[in-house]
Amino acid sequence: MLLRSGVAPRTSRSLVSLFRLEPRLVAIGLLGGILSGLLGVGGGVIMVPLLVLWAGYEQRSAHAASLGAIIPISIAGILTFGVAGAVHVPEAAGLACGSIVGARFGAGLLASIDERLLKLVFGAFLAAVAVLLAVRT
Amino acid sequence: MSAVALAVALVGFGVVTGVASGLLGVGGGIMMVPFLTLAVGLSQHAAEATSLLVVLPTAIVGSVVLRRRGVGDLGIALRVGLAGSLGGAGGAALALSLPGHTLRVVFAAFLGLVGLKLVHDALRREEAGT
Repeated sequence: MLLRSGVAPRTSRSLVSLFRLEPRLVAIGLLGGILSGLLGVGGGVIMVPLLVLWAGYEQRSAHAASLGAIIPISIAGILTFGVAGAVHVPEAAGLACGSIVGARFGAGLLASIDERLLKLVFGAFLAAVAVLLAVRT
Repeated sequence: MSAVALAVALVGFGVVTGVASGLLGVGGGIMMVPFLTLAVGLSQHAAEATSLLVVLPTAIVGSVVLRRRGVGDLGIALRVGLAGSLGGAGGAALALSLPGHTLRVVFAAFLGLVGLKLVHDALRREEAGT
């Protein structure tokens, strides 16, 4: 036990040690980012389940971590798409006007909601998205 | 759709997306991309790009609220996202070389399974708790 703290050698100055993150968290971030780049979404639908089922996060913390991670991920996506000139600013502005108001309410709800209910709502949300995707394909 | 109706629809759909985004910690793009292609008539590419531009301010506002309420660790979250932004570049490149149909089927199957598992867990715990 005495040896355990601080003695673990840092064998490589890898990306992981740079971030000072668990490899699992880096992997989850990468997966979320890849999905975001592929489908033009935030990536939360894959990050939240992985944070809960694989990284052992509590449901509420997982949702909060996912939302924060989406900030740099979406910036990368916007830059990529922006270079291609595909962004429609008027439509984005309209949606953002509403979503900013909604996000304040939603995040406040996340802070206080019962964890079990949150899990239920999110599970139903994912199932609905899966059906939506299946119907579209 | 007239310009006014379109504006109302966009803001209204934005509110719904924002609530889902803040509560569920997702970007909301998964709802916005179909809306932008089917209801607004943007191309898939334009819809994805436009969706991401909405995702960013939404995630910032939601994260600020959560930080104020002391939920989660924004520092760790941002670093996870930094790793993710590398993946995002790779994902965009991959998107160009993969058939979108295959991708969507795999993704839908994954979400369906995870959704069922979460609902199942929640219901089982409810039974055990009472």
